[in-house]
Amino acid sequence: MKVSSWFILSLGGVYLLGFLVLGSALFRLQYEDTSEFKADLAQQNTRRIRVPGLRGRILDRNGAVLAECRPSHCIQCSVEEFQRRGDATNTVSAVEEAVDRLAATLGVARPARLTRVHIERHVKQASAMPLMLWEDVSDETFARFAEHAEEFPGLEAATRPERTYPHGALAAHILGYTGRSRPDDADSAHFFEHDMRGREGVERYYNRFLSGVAGERKVRVDARGFRPTKQREAMMEDDLDADVAPSPGLDLRLTIDKDVQAVLEAQLDGLTGAGVVLDPRDGAVIALASAPAFNPNDCVPRLTQEVYCTLTNAPAKRLQNRAISESYAPGSTFKPITALAALANGWLPDDEYTCQGVYTLGNLRLHCWDRWGHGPISLRTALEKSCNTFFCNLGTAIGTNAVIEAARAFGLGSATGIDLGGETAGVVPDNEWKYATFNERWYPGDTCQMSIGQGMLLVTPLQMAVVAAALANGGKVFTPYLFARTDGQPPPKPARTVPYASDTIELVREGMRDVAERGTGRRILTRWEESEPGSFKKRRFNLNVTCAGKTGTAEIGRGETKRKNTWVIAFAPFESPTVAIAMIVERGESGGSTVAPRVHAVLAHMFGETEIAAARPRGTTLERGD
Amino acid sequence: MKDVLSKLRRMDWVLSACMVSLIVMGVVFINSAGSVRPTDALRNLWRVHASTALAGLAVYAVFAFLDYRKLLDWGALPVFVVSCALLVAVLFAGTDRFGGRRWLWFFQPSEIAKLAVILFTAHVFAAPGNAGFRGFLAGAAILCGPAALVLAEPDLGTALVLAPSVLVILLAARVWLKGLVTLLAVALLAAGLVLWAVDRAEREPDPDARAKIYRFVPLRDHQIKRLRVFLFPETDPTGAGYNLRQAQIAVGSGGIWGKGLKKGSQKLLGYLPPSVSMNDFIFAVLAEESGFMGVLLMLALFLGIFGPGLRIAVRCPDDRGRLVVIGILTLIFCHLYVNVAMSVGLVPITGLPLPFISAGRTFLIVLMAALGIVQSVAIHHANPAVEDRDAEQPI
Repeated sequence: MKVSSWFILSLGGVYLLGFLVLGSALFRLQYEDTSEFKADLAQQNTRRIRVPGLRGRILDRNGAVLAECRPSHCIQCSVEEFQRRGDATNTVSAVEEAVDRLAATLGVARPARLTRVHIERHVKQASAMPLMLWEDVSDETFARFAEHAEEFPGLEAATRPERTYPHGALAAHILGYTGRSRPDDADSAHFFEHDMRGREGVERYYNRFLSGVAGERKVRVDARGFRPTKQREAMMEDDLDADVAPSPGLDLRLTIDKDVQAVLEAQLDGLTGAGVVLDPRDGAVIALASAPAFNPNDCVPRLTQEVYCTLTNAPAKRLQNRAISESYAPGSTFKPITALAALANGWLPDDEYTCQGVYTLGNLRLHCWDRWGHGPISLRTALEKSCNTFFCNLGTAIGTNAVIEAARAFGLGSATGIDLGGETAGVVPDNEWKYATFNERWYPGDTCQMSIGQGMLLVTPLQMAVVAAALANGGKVFTPYLFARTDGQPPPKPARTVPYASDTIELVREGMRDVAERGTGRRILTRWEESEPGSFKKRRFNLNVTCAGKTGTAEIGRGETKRKNTWVIAFAPFESPTVAIAMIVERGESGGSTVAPRVHAVLAHMFGETEIAAARPRGTTLERGD
Repeated sequence: MKDVLSKLRRMDWVLSACMVSLIVMGVVFINSAGSVRPTDALRNLWRVHASTALAGLAVYAVFAFLDYRKLLDWGALPVFVVSCALLVAVLFAGTDRFGGRRWLWFFQPSEIAKLAVILFTAHVFAAPGNAGFRGFLAGAAILCGPAALVLAEPDLGTALVLAPSVLVILLAARVWLKGLVTLLAVALLAAGLVLWAVDRAEREPDPDARAKIYRFVPLRDHQIKRLRVFLFPETDPTGAGYNLRQAQIAVGSGGIWGKGLKKGSQKLLGYLPPSVSMNDFIFAVLAEESGFMGVLLMLALFLGIFGPGLRIAVRCPDDRGRLVVIGILTLIFCHLYVNVAMSVGLVPITGLPLPFISAGRTFLIVLMAALGIVQSVAIHHANPAVEDRDAEQPI
């Protein structure tokens, strides 16, 4: 016999060797390295989706909600249910067909962004994510969809948070608004949902505080990048890694008082201007308004081109926060600062100057608002009557630098540092600045203009509110802030203290009290009201609180474009102030007639007012001058 | 009747049981792999496998009860000639599928050719007097004719498994032994050279130099690609290396106990390409879903075929019986080894089915017929004298 049994046996040995090789290779793969392969498996068939945290609310100082998230109903599409054989275009067509059919059923238009290209890109690049069809649909549409949902397998209802501002335009410039954007850490996951991001105001300034920490949702995908159908998902047993739950953002409590804010905004309604109410004890912003305002609800979920244009068009420029980002000449509201500078530089309280109605310096002739002149007056009276010639003389007497130093001591010329973006610094001009800007040297007349708050001096309403607060609290310049302190947090320290003696400041405060009680700003304290329409008899209401203030009317431009920006700064109660206000109305009549009643209204809301019996209107109703 | 009973008694029942068990495994995992397919025809392929197996059992019985000596005497040459004719026919009238022309109507002639070549080779070299160099030339001709036709389809895998089976028969029959051993050594050396050349070429950064090397490598582009993937699987994880990579992940992630029947996520999510998961890559499905334990069971069942098969060969006093059996066993072993080794990255990817388990009607029938012939050797090898002795002293 040719074929030996040994050969057969050794052939069996070769087989056995083969079995051992296979067995050991499989042992290595399936036992020793199995965790490695399981990791590879998970890596290739799981996709991590970044899930944003729920954005925190914004509250006022009493806990009233100013901004929050509401559930928004959406209709979305699970593209895997439309997966068709062949290339992606078949799937895209299936999705398109379902969308059009649903649009017809619901009687709504197909969203403009939902083009075939858009769907195709989604199917090819983000098929693990649901495709958003209709965002934020009305309850009615949503209900109709729920009725027909069974006819549209693969299309599903979803709810996601959307920013809402329950009080509409209230405090719009403080709050700002949110948009949707690609998150900064979008690359940390395979896919992301668009994040709400603060675009303006505290929404922007405290964005990180509000937005919370994103979590991660894990979904399985098949070889083509689609999520497996539910039936197939149910067949699989190996679990996905646990999702990471997002942490919601924190609630932001503001120092704003919603009611005061509402009153302030009502007073500015229909005008162009701004107002700021501060707590002079620590710089907390009680209200801050800019008019005209906008409704931040128009800006969510995203600001469209048309809305953006209407909000930014001149001259209304609704989006601009005039309280911090527009600078104006302060007019006579600057005079208390000039007065302080003078008293600190040797002007005595009793020193008098005779106002003859016009101040002449070289070829500059500067008229006092009272053409006939105020006659010989002291500083306190000059404040009360807001005598221009007196303060021109004062500024010239003490010198430019003293006035500039005083202005800077109150924080003018630099941003206050409020926790809002977009603040402008304003201008406290000096020789170098003028040379750099206008290529002209500083003239004595500039000092004169600056002493009465005109000329090149520019301030923001917020800066003037800080000035009012500093005058109120005896010279402490605080950084205004919006983020309410928590209990137990130490009160903020003043950013700086003005370098003037307390009795000096007291004298100026007294002068401002005269302004508010009987001077140009008497309508801060008192409100006259016709007892009957057309009657000369007036009823008179006084604030239930002592107050002090200063009016201002800054003339701008010449000829046709000549206009007046009217100011008031005020604080109350006089003895231990808790409120400081600055308010400006563009193109007003005068500080005393245009703005003072509005400041009165705000203070009346906060402190109340009482009718004074046997009131006799004093002079004409038309107040003059500053 | 007494004859039938004694034949049944001499049949190797372990081998039969292991074969049936493997086919059952095949039905189970074809069902599992098919469950993710889109059409009913594909989902129900396990029924086809099962019914083919039933038909195959009849074939198995027929070949088992037919004396293999008569079969070889009457059938070896005609079957060989017919199968060669079919191989020619398929090149002209066959159906193109999966990048090759391998189907003639409903069957693959190359599968039949595998068995036909083995039978014919065994028949030829069992006869005395064919042991010289001329015998070797005859053997080479028997191998190379069908192999060339199969390569033309193209079906490298079949050509590759045919060669070892024929070689084993030639070696066992001691045909031109010294020369053959030398030739084998040279062939191994050549294979090593080709591998080395591909390795060298792929490391070559200059494309011109690479092309120059490839000019001396007698392989086609897609074969070079497979070798490249085998040598450097990491270079192309999404392209040609994709199947290998996904098969490895499926096997490796199966772990010890597997993910459970029908629960393999590689298969469910389509990472393991569904078009190959029922045939060439069914081992990956099996390993993923039944784990190392399932793999061990499968290997044990195969041992239950090779062990008894080799015992039949040893017991057979007849050269022809021995050659037929070891030829058939080597054919099965090569399929098993190459298929499993390819799924775990030990050998380059080659399109070869896993015996008894992969879906494929022709191959299943051929395999069962082949094992039927092995049983026939078990039943019929003894001459009457030996048969009597066995009857008196049962082992």
